[in-house]
Amino acid sequence: MAAVNQDNTLVVATTTAPSNSKQSQPRAKTVDSQSVLKRLQSELMALMMSGDSGISAFPEEDNIFCWKGTIIGSKDTVFEGTEYRLSLTFPNDYPFKPPKVKFETLCFHPNVDLVGNICLDILQDKWSSAYDVRTILLSIQSLLGEPNISSPLNNQAAQLWSNQDDYRKMVEKLYKSPKA
Amino acid sequence: MADSISSVCNLAILDKLSDGSIEEILESYNGFCAATDTLLNGAGDLSVGPQFLSHVHGLCKHGLESLLRDHFLGALERTFEKNGALKFWRHFEAYDDVSVEEEVFYNALEEISLEKQYQEKCLLILVHALQSYNHGSHDSNDYRVELFAKYQMSVSSVLMATLPRHFPEILHWYFKGRLEELSTIMGGDFPHDDDEDDDDDDDDKDDMDLDDKCKVSYRSGQMEIDECYPQGRFLDNNKLVNNIGKVVRDLRSLGFTSMTEDAYASAIFLFLKAKVHDLAGDDYRISVLESIKGWIQAVPLQFLHALLAYLGDSVSYDSVSSGLKSPLASCPSTFYPGIDTPSEGLVRWQLRLEYFAYETLQDLRITKLFEIIVDYPDSSPAIEDLKQCLEYTGQHSKLVESFISALRYRLLTAGASTNDILHQYVSTIKALRTIDPAGVFLEAVGEPIRDYLRGRKDTIKCIVTMLTDGTGGNPNVSGNTGDSLLEELNRDEENQENAGLDDDFHTDDKQAWINASRWEPDPVEADPLKGSRNRRKVDILGMIVGIIGSKDQLVNEYRVMLAEKLLNKSDYDIDTEIRTLELLKIHFGESSMQKCEIMLNDLIDSKRTNGNIKATITQTSQAGSELGDNGVSMDVFDATIISSNFWPQIQDESLNVPGPVDQLLSDYAKRFNEIKTPRKLLWKKSLGTVKLELQFEDRAVQFVVAPVHAAIIMQFQDQTSWTSKNLAAAIGVPTDILNRRINFWISKGILAESLGADSEDHVFTLMEGMVDSGKNGGTNGSIEDLIVADEEGESSVASVEDQLRKEMTVYEKFILGMLTNFGSMALDRIHNTLKMFCIADPPYDKTLQQLQSFLTGLVSEEKLELRDGMYFLKK
Repeated sequence: MAAVNQDNTLVVATTTAPSNSKQSQPRAKTVDSQSVLKRLQSELMALMMSGDSGISAFPEEDNIFCWKGTIIGSKDTVFEGTEYRLSLTFPNDYPFKPPKVKFETLCFHPNVDLVGNICLDILQDKWSSAYDVRTILLSIQSLLGEPNISSPLNNQAAQLWSNQDDYRKMVEKLYKSPKA
Repeated sequence: MADSISSVCNLAILDKLSDGSIEEILESYNGFCAATDTLLNGAGDLSVGPQFLSHVHGLCKHGLESLLRDHFLGALERTFEKNGALKFWRHFEAYDDVSVEEEVFYNALEEISLEKQYQEKCLLILVHALQSYNHGSHDSNDYRVELFAKYQMSVSSVLMATLPRHFPEILHWYFKGRLEELSTIMGGDFPHDDDEDDDDDDDDKDDMDLDDKCKVSYRSGQMEIDECYPQGRFLDNNKLVNNIGKVVRDLRSLGFTSMTEDAYASAIFLFLKAKVHDLAGDDYRISVLESIKGWIQAVPLQFLHALLAYLGDSVSYDSVSSGLKSPLASCPSTFYPGIDTPSEGLVRWQLRLEYFAYETLQDLRITKLFEIIVDYPDSSPAIEDLKQCLEYTGQHSKLVESFISALRYRLLTAGASTNDILHQYVSTIKALRTIDPAGVFLEAVGEPIRDYLRGRKDTIKCIVTMLTDGTGGNPNVSGNTGDSLLEELNRDEENQENAGLDDDFHTDDKQAWINASRWEPDPVEADPLKGSRNRRKVDILGMIVGIIGSKDQLVNEYRVMLAEKLLNKSDYDIDTEIRTLELLKIHFGESSMQKCEIMLNDLIDSKRTNGNIKATITQTSQAGSELGDNGVSMDVFDATIISSNFWPQIQDESLNVPGPVDQLLSDYAKRFNEIKTPRKLLWKKSLGTVKLELQFEDRAVQFVVAPVHAAIIMQFQDQTSWTSKNLAAAIGVPTDILNRRINFWISKGILAESLGADSEDHVFTLMEGMVDSGKNGGTNGSIEDLIVADEEGESSVASVEDQLRKEMTVYEKFILGMLTNFGSMALDRIHNTLKMFCIADPPYDKTLQQLQSFLTGLVSEEKLELRDGMYFLKK
């Protein structure tokens, strides 16, 4: 009978999950663009293969530090059936700093301002290098359905949130399907 | 007419003439005319000679020499036309076709020659008359030469003017007939002169059709053979050649020089061609070039030699000065007798004949090159022949064209198996390497094969099999058919190295000088685009890898095959594989074979670990003796422990192995974990082989099967009948897989299938009594024909095609991903983006065309849309 030797170290090395254990803090200062590239590439691969529905992102043509993302509003939320385009810009010392994420499509949401800035803790002070593009996008997707009313960027939206039917109408009125 | 000529030509003389002399002239002229008539028509009566002489003298006295000469020649011509030419042609009139009887031919020639000889005698009388008139003042030969030349001209023009159209044909057939006759006689001697040291069997064939009498008589007389062209034989013994010589001489004297030469040359060539075809035939295992050359020496050259010698004896004036020499004619010196060394003419003939023979043989071989290469290396003598021919004729391009069209027509068709094509390709490389060491033509010939093979899916697989499947790596067995190509290549390489020519780095100045002086330019046919000679060094493996494009694919396929082989091993004997791997490393480099090496190391490690574990294990299951005879001892169990990251993807099928075995597996894994902490074993229960023995009431049968088969049959131990659904659940495989797998036991007659209540749910029953013994009748206990392969060739390792499909799904996800975020993209942009970002293992390496067809596939699956050259997601 044949058996497979599940070699622990090898498994870690080959999984595409963020391997923070390998990147010790001292090295972070001198992190070279090569390892950032590698990280982003493996994130892209993981994202492509993950098959999560409703989220997607892809680097722009010649720059792997600038991605375009797409989020589809979850079912049973006021954003159902809408599709939002985002931009993700990664810093040179990613993943030690979070990427800048903005909505490119107008999104009527308490935590998104009119130019698309997002107020989300993991994109600011709660950032950890364990997060990746996929988790960011999933977080934003869930943020759509569960806004943080206490610290709004869009007060009108925050006030309207309690009335879901009106909110839905507002979303539909303002929504413009993103076109490339 | 004569008068009118005289009045025109001799106007100046007329003024000086007196009446008396006019009388005298008229009288002499009339007398001369009468004498001429008598002479020419007198049927051999030369008695008018003295009279004629005096008339000539008389006319000459008055300066009418040219007049009488013209008159005489005119009369000769008319007479010849009447008596000679017309009669001559009449002989042939009866024959519409070309097969004139020899006798008729001889008679006609005899007659006309006699006539001509007679006329020449008459002409001679005139010459003498003229000479005797002004002896001394003229060079005596001048008359002769001049008059005879004129006469010759008029004879040939008369004949040419009246020539029947089929006469050249007649000549041709005549010579052909004679040559055949001659060859039959000569054939007996041929093996003799040819090469006495080389006592070929094939020569005996030529003896067979011989008249025994001839053979004996000629053999006895021919033991002492002149070094070069023995001439005595024909002249002494052979009336035939004399006859031919005479005919040729007669024809020549009639002015048919070039026609005759054409005729016998074409007859010789045709005959030579037939002979070459006859000798060469369809047998490629013997070299025929030497025997052909021998035959040329023995028959046509002897013939020509005798002929030339004969003509040399008798021809004194005509052909040399006739000015009618054809381009085929030999140099005049040949015609003079007394030559013991081959004359220049004969040498030329020999060269021409040999060239023709080379060309004929070459054409013959080229048209059959395909068969020859199929038979390679048995056919190497034929290849060697062809090589020599081509060196002589330089018509390599003919070979390339003809061979390529043969390939297209016969090999590169859907019906030919990839294996055959590959073998032919390798044979072609080897064979053409002999003909053309520089590999120039090989390049041209190989191209269509390579192109074709690239279009076949199983090419890589076949190549790998061909490269690696040997006799079992036993180095003592060399050159056998079972030898892998790789072994062979290696041997070749070693031989080459032993032969001494090392590469440039190790050569000192002297060697460099030797190499430089040995340099030869590329053949003119070389395509300058295809690089210089050095780069074109023929490398069979390189050319094979060239089919696929990169060695990576080849290595990958080998890895899959190796994995399959290793997983099916029940012992840890991997000597063959190690040897093959070492050979592959030589050719492909260490680094590319690294994964394979790890796989082999896994096996070696497994052997050690396996031994270690089994020696130290505390067998808990053994204690639980309630398992009874179901219990499986650790002794019969061996595990292969693989580092899955370096192995190709392994098809993982779920399987519930029988309890005792499962217990064994977990014990083993536990012990492994103890020894190799923190590593743990993950069993691939569906892989491997199981040797088992089925005991029935009356007998026992042994099998070597896959675990799933073993698991199936184990279930029948306690319960002799199962429905497929229940059985599938019991062993933990999907029903459809079970139904496929269980066929194995049904085909062995161990189980029987019957339809249950539910049409989907079949019932399987153990055949305790073993009804059929037809299939494995009388094989009780004999293990060899019970070792069974997995039916349908199911493979435990993901094949390269599967991997390719997987690659494509990666691309598909990337494409869908980018289109989601960018809306629409053109083909170019998708291509570039994939190149940029899809750099996983393996990286995106497709061409634009491949991508396009892939995208077209996605469009037809309704995943994408194509509008105005832009791809969209199908919503």
